[in-house]
Amino acid sequence: MYMKQLDQAFAALADPTRRGILVHLARGEATVNDLVALFHLTQPTISSHIKVLESAGLISRSRQAQMRPCKLEAKRLQEVTKWLSKVQEVWEGKYTRLDALLAELKQAQKEERKK
Amino acid sequence: MKPAEVSTPSDREVLVKRSFDAPVNLVWQAYTDPALMRRWLTAMPGWSMPVCEMAVHVGGKYRWRWRFEESGQEFGFIGEMLEVVLHSKISHTQIYDPGDQGGSMGAEPSIVTVTFVEVNGTTNVETSIKFASQSDRDAAMSTGMTDGMEMSYQSLDVVLAG
Repeated sequence: MYMKQLDQAFAALADPTRRGILVHLARGEATVNDLVALFHLTQPTISSHIKVLESAGLISRSRQAQMRPCKLEAKRLQEVTKWLSKVQEVWEGKYTRLDALLAELKQAQKEERKK
Repeated sequence: MKPAEVSTPSDREVLVKRSFDAPVNLVWQAYTDPALMRRWLTAMPGWSMPVCEMAVHVGGKYRWRWRFEESGQEFGFIGEMLEVVLHSKISHTQIYDPGDQGGSMGAEPSIVTVTFVEVNGTTNVETSIKFASQSDRDAAMSTGMTDGMEMSYQSLDVVLAG
């Protein structure tokens, strides 16, 4: 289930408009109308982006207020970015080990030349 | 050296850039000699690499397999060399073999291309992983064997931290 949610979040984050919406919501709540005005897109387009972000758990919409403002689910987004930086650490960890190996090879080559 | 730079230049691609403080002939050796590969490719503590076979010529096959000693869980990669240019470029197909580790990277092989460029004793290495489709790439990212951190994700992080 966790992996499926990650897949959904990645798919949601793959679109530049949706990332833009998240950046905007990071500053505060906004209604669909606010976003329509801000992004110069039609209301159905914004609504479909909102639906994708909502089903990925990246935003939520208030049930009470009439305009149903959108709110960033920062915790969910942090989970995704945290996971991504973890994977990057794996790459960097590998490369750090390669750095050490290369330093060793360089030293061995130097000593070989001295002989 | 600056930490690895990871980007997603297209829907089905992941690009990793990193520089190494060593001449290209040594970097090449570390990338192609199984005894040296084992030294740095073992992904995490507790893991070993019981299989590391390389046939570094066009049409040659390779086989890598990792094992988590504590549980005996294994996974690996297999593929075939498409292009080999000494001290400059290796391109190969890559198929993920989940073993009993699980996860998926799609059924179609991905294409991995590693290029090496030496400038004043520093070697710049670029690794491009091209998946058969966007969903394969996303599945691979979820499996955790590759990475697609975009600048925009980082800028989101900055916004969230502030």
